Amino acid sequence: MVEDSYTREEDNYEDEELDETSFKSVKDAVLFAIDISNSMLTPRPSPDPKKHGDESPASAALKCAYHLMQQRIISNPHDMIGVLLYGTQSSKFYDENEDDRGDLSYPHCYLYTDLDVPSAQEVKQLRSLASPADADDDVRQVLEPSKEPVSMANMLFCANQVFTSKAPNFSSRRLFVVTDNDNPHADNKGMRSAATVRARDLYDLGVNIELFPISQPDHEFDTSIFYDDIIYKTSPSDGDAPAYLQPDTNTSTAKGDGLSLLNSLLSSINSRSVPRRSLFSNVPLEIGPNFKISVNGYLLLKKQEPARSCFVWQGGETAQIAKGVTTLMSDDTGQEIEKADIRKAYKFGGEQVSFTIEEQQALRSFGDPVIRIIGFKPLSALPFWANVKHPSFIYPSEEDYIGSTRVFSALHQKLLESEKLALVWFIPRRNASPVLAAMIAGAEKIDENGVQKIPPGMWIIPLPFADDVRQNPESTVHRAGDALNDAMRDVVRQLQLPKAVYDPSKYPNPSLQWHYRILQAIALDEDFPESPDDKTVPKYRQVHKRAGDYILKWADELKLQASEMFGGSVAATSTLVKRGAKTEAAGEHPSKRVKVEDSAPGVEDEVKKSYAKGTVSKLTVAVLKEFLHAHGRATAGKKADLVDRVEQYFEQKF
Amino acid sequence: MAEKEATVYIVDMGRSMGERHHGRPMTDLEWAMQYVWDRITATVATGRKTATVGVVGLRTDGTINDLEEENFSNISILFGLGQVLMSDIRKLRETIKPSNTNRGDAISSIVIAMQMIIEYTKKNKYKRKIILVTNGTGVMSDDNIEGIIEKMKEVNIELVVIGADFDDAEYGVKEEDKDSRKAENETLLRSLTEDCEGVYGTLEQAVSELDIPRIKVTKSMPSFKGNLTLGNPEEYDTAMTIPVERYFRTYVAKPISASSFVPRSGTEPGSQAPVKGNAEGDALASVRASRTYQITDESAPGGKIDVERDDLAKGYEYGRTAVPIEQTDENVANLQTFAGMGLIGFVQKDQYDRYMHMSNTNIIIPQRANDNASLALSSLIHALYELESYAVARLVTKESKPPMLVLLAPSVEADYECLIEVQLPFAEDVRSYRFPPLDKIITVSGKVVTEHRNLPSVALKDAMSSYVDSMDFVTTNDEGQATDDLPIDESFSPLLHRIESAVRYRAVHPNDPVLDPSERLTEFAHPSEDMVKNSKSHLEKLMSIADVKKVPPKTKGRKRQRETEKPLSGLDVDALLSLEPKRTKISTENAIPEFKQTLSRAENIDAIHDAVQQMAKIIETQITHSLGHSNYDRVIEGLGTMREELVDYEEPTVYNDFVRQLKGKMLREELGGDRRELWWFMRKGKLGLIGKSEVDSSAVEEEEAQEFLAPN
Repeated sequence: MVEDSYTREEDNYEDEELDETSFKSVKDAVLFAIDISNSMLTPRPSPDPKKHGDESPASAALKCAYHLMQQRIISNPHDMIGVLLYGTQSSKFYDENEDDRGDLSYPHCYLYTDLDVPSAQEVKQLRSLASPADADDDVRQVLEPSKEPVSMANMLFCANQVFTSKAPNFSSRRLFVVTDNDNPHADNKGMRSAATVRARDLYDLGVNIELFPISQPDHEFDTSIFYDDIIYKTSPSDGDAPAYLQPDTNTSTAKGDGLSLLNSLLSSINSRSVPRRSLFSNVPLEIGPNFKISVNGYLLLKKQEPARSCFVWQGGETAQIAKGVTTLMSDDTGQEIEKADIRKAYKFGGEQVSFTIEEQQALRSFGDPVIRIIGFKPLSALPFWANVKHPSFIYPSEEDYIGSTRVFSALHQKLLESEKLALVWFIPRRNASPVLAAMIAGAEKIDENGVQKIPPGMWIIPLPFADDVRQNPESTVHRAGDALNDAMRDVVRQLQLPKAVYDPSKYPNPSLQWHYRILQAIALDEDFPESPDDKTVPKYRQVHKRAGDYILKWADELKLQASEMFGGSVAATSTLVKRGAKTEAAGEHPSKRVKVEDSAPGVEDEVKKSYAKGTVSKLTVAVLKEFLHAHGRATAGKKADLVDRVEQYFEQKF
Repeated sequence: MAEKEATVYIVDMGRSMGERHHGRPMTDLEWAMQYVWDRITATVATGRKTATVGVVGLRTDGTINDLEEENFSNISILFGLGQVLMSDIRKLRETIKPSNTNRGDAISSIVIAMQMIIEYTKKNKYKRKIILVTNGTGVMSDDNIEGIIEKMKEVNIELVVIGADFDDAEYGVKEEDKDSRKAENETLLRSLTEDCEGVYGTLEQAVSELDIPRIKVTKSMPSFKGNLTLGNPEEYDTAMTIPVERYFRTYVAKPISASSFVPRSGTEPGSQAPVKGNAEGDALASVRASRTYQITDESAPGGKIDVERDDLAKGYEYGRTAVPIEQTDENVANLQTFAGMGLIGFVQKDQYDRYMHMSNTNIIIPQRANDNASLALSSLIHALYELESYAVARLVTKESKPPMLVLLAPSVEADYECLIEVQLPFAEDVRSYRFPPLDKIITVSGKVVTEHRNLPSVALKDAMSSYVDSMDFVTTNDEGQATDDLPIDESFSPLLHRIESAVRYRAVHPNDPVLDPSERLTEFAHPSEDMVKNSKSHLEKLMSIADVKKVPPKTKGRKRQRETEKPLSGLDVDALLSLEPKRTKISTENAIPEFKQTLSRAENIDAIHDAVQQMAKIIETQITHSLGHSNYDRVIEGLGTMREELVDYEEPTVYNDFVRQLKGKMLREELGGDRRELWWFMRKGKLGLIGKSEVDSSAVEEEEAQEFLAPN
């Protein structure tokens, strides 16, 4: 465990943008503004009546918000999210009282979930709103649309105030507007210009408005009528970031029936779920001596781990996290010491060899951050095994060098065309340890909804140093004969994944999902889910149906070749002593015939029989361990534990 | 468990070793000791008790050895076989100096070293070695040399002879005008080592190879032993099960880690010249960390109270809700899993993007001594190889460990077969950040543009293409033929080896400054000179066509982007703003936008001053009314915005005047009490004075700006 947390800390360190220039805290706040109107509440029927696809745009939007909220609890535990409904009959804004109708600051704006790191309670509330059919009347009442139109200016200013008070000084603040109304103030010029002014306020505050337009069945959403006056070209918080406007205005306009509407909205919101945070910014990419352009680095692939456990204080009304405070003390005097007094030393020959802080820094310094190309190689030169960690993604920036983008693009296109990689000397940050890396070009990939899945750019893959390469352990090679290979080829052909490609979006991390699912259940005092929805478990039925016969053929061939190759000598080579017995038993126990395990089938039978007789505890530890290991169970512990585990195994199975 | 070692170094300390030869800046002894110290410290660095070292001085003034014979005079055992510690290194450093004599027989010293080893190692299993370093000028006698050779072979001692200016045709060293006795000695030593099947070399080579990093070979242990399955053997009789083992293929070697120490009490705290050398080891006391736990309690002074560790339950955060987990079901949040590697399906090699590799790599080999498993796995490896496919599998290395998704690729070599395994990303591991295409520009209206200042012209693409083609990185094999490999075997972890050699160097030379990294470590920091020369003309052409211009530091920042501060439609919102009747005063609730807008509308300096005055007042009010730190984030945002804007408008003085006053008021506690925490936030956010380096017209020198933010 110690090592786990150690490496994780290191990763976190790497993850953080060490932006010393900004006074802002690197956090993200997303406020959903969902239009509640009659058309938004009208379910769009599904073409397939068997599927429950009836979905109104509003409930699709709420489902997306709920989905994003759950997702961000896992992926961005410190970022905020909120939901503001507008166009509702009722109004709610912090302490304001519903009864003083005349004094409401933001009529027809209903701040359903305040902008904050979500609590379990808020997750639950949002869930009930997202499926109003199952909800109480109170909840449904919230979704009652107003009879008079809502002022967009008011809604925008309401959002402004929520951001100003709840998320001050955040580096990223975003307002997600979901609506099917492309012309809110069709006949009121004054209201329109008031809205544009309030939108400008948001821009100046550093809030980015992102529009998720929904087309009506008989009317394509037209952003040019109103929203083009509201939305700005650049992101206010990240002025240099290249704006990606295409899907906003065109392809990702959600439309059609309920289900496809939900899906396209989900995919569009997902693609903007994370604020773009750079791993390093404006690092020179040195293409040749004295020829530099600037690039920004991003982590597009990063292992998501569950948050570490912490200590919880339950003495008060609500449980709260206890914050650990570490004090450093001198071992000889027991006195508290300041960080500045600490020296670093290495153990050597029974003593410490020490360096001053300046020397320590000098030792770690190999020059300024750089990505320096030292030559090119064909892509095929990069072996499959030459990998040590996730890659970094780079994209050009015009901040330091004008013309970076066109040069980067020329290099990108050349590397793609010629299937080459660049070998680079890579120092991502000041005082980071340099690595030798392969820089490869990645092409843009678009999903079926027209939303970008993989951006175009270059990937920097750190290579192992000679120190990091392990020697292969000894292993005996028995090369399979052609017939056996052919049989296996048939199996492999049967079991290709869809499109013969690995698509990560199809495989949520089962332990991560389960972890948070359980936490949610505990936090909301709900029943635990029965079994996890684990998409990574192989589809056994399919394997059996599609490849079963081929596997049997392969097994027969394996037996044949094995007896030809090893014949009687098998007994002498290994623990396969009991192989003979197994072959005989094969007729009786067809379930074991495909196995090439060394464990004797005797063990399997023996344990099974003992279990039936209730005498598992009479078996030897060796037999129990062998049985448990063969079934992927832990083999640690005392004999009683092993017996327990074996019995559990059978109980679960039958 | 590494093998036990017994190595005796014989160092020639004769008078002639104190001389400088062939224009070298150091004496022969100093030169030789570079090699000896490197080897000894490398052994010390392992920290192994069983890696023993002995040191014998040859041609010493006195005689310290058990063989009290004339033949063995002027040979001293300086350090008997054992683990070398720092104190021993210090003693040896004092002792090893050129003597005043040239008497002493090298061959006799070898006999003494043999004697030491035989006595120490007895019949036990040891790696035995004698390393003689000499300039070969003394008198040597070949009496009973056969007996020595025989004994050397019998007890299995490796003899290494390294000589200063010894001729070595292979390495290309030949000493001109060699002394005839030295030539004789060289011949004698050479034939001796050859007869013992030892190593004979010249010192120049030995020293030059010191900076080739030595790689620590780590024996891999299996990280998983279990079944590779296709289908579910518990449920279907058509499932395939192959017992396999998993080992690291790559694993990042970490540099040795430093521990924290403080100067021991009694030594003056904070004295910057630490006592190096002898007292060093004792002057440091180790650091202990103690952890206490606090919770927020608004009623307590300071808003926090300490709680006992024992009163706390383990738990997790779900959003901002704390979720305690009772001890009884501590594992409830862990997914139940069982060990195994289950194949999910197969993918096409050319459909896989190499950048999806998420981890270090492992190899999968058949279970040891299981011929059937080996045969079965071989067929899978070959089937994948022939079909140009990879397998995707779910791997759980131990019961209850989280499942991983891994990609399995076939590796077929002449005498080795295995699967190479690497982790794949899960859905949550992919972050979708979007970026515009690189080969076209899509305008706001959806039009596709292919000619643009951000897109390369045909000429630029051509120039890039020829440059890339001229910069092939050439690797060669042992025969000197060009290969398609990356230079992985020749690249060494710079940090790891630099720290390691710095520690060893400091151990022997406590008062020297730290050295630059050796050339070997930075070999790949730059393209080779040859390549640069070859591609020079292509690069020049590329640079001239690319026409990349460095942005002068001053024009960086937001100003350039002002022109784009318009909505997509291009509507002039500024015009609308100026029509807003209400916006003459900056309001507290919408302060930041209105401040910015007021500035952009300002027609004279007074208007700017006025806006700053208003903003300053709002900020001071926010501070005064802040309960604890409740308003600090807003204050920092307001200050930061003010500072940024006034830098952009090149009006540093107004900001500087304000922030000076503010600092004073805060530290004098005139703004609602103790505001030191806020001052700390301001320092952290670098919201101090605007100096000359930021805005030319600033009257504040850099030192003053730094001084301003210094901790008081």
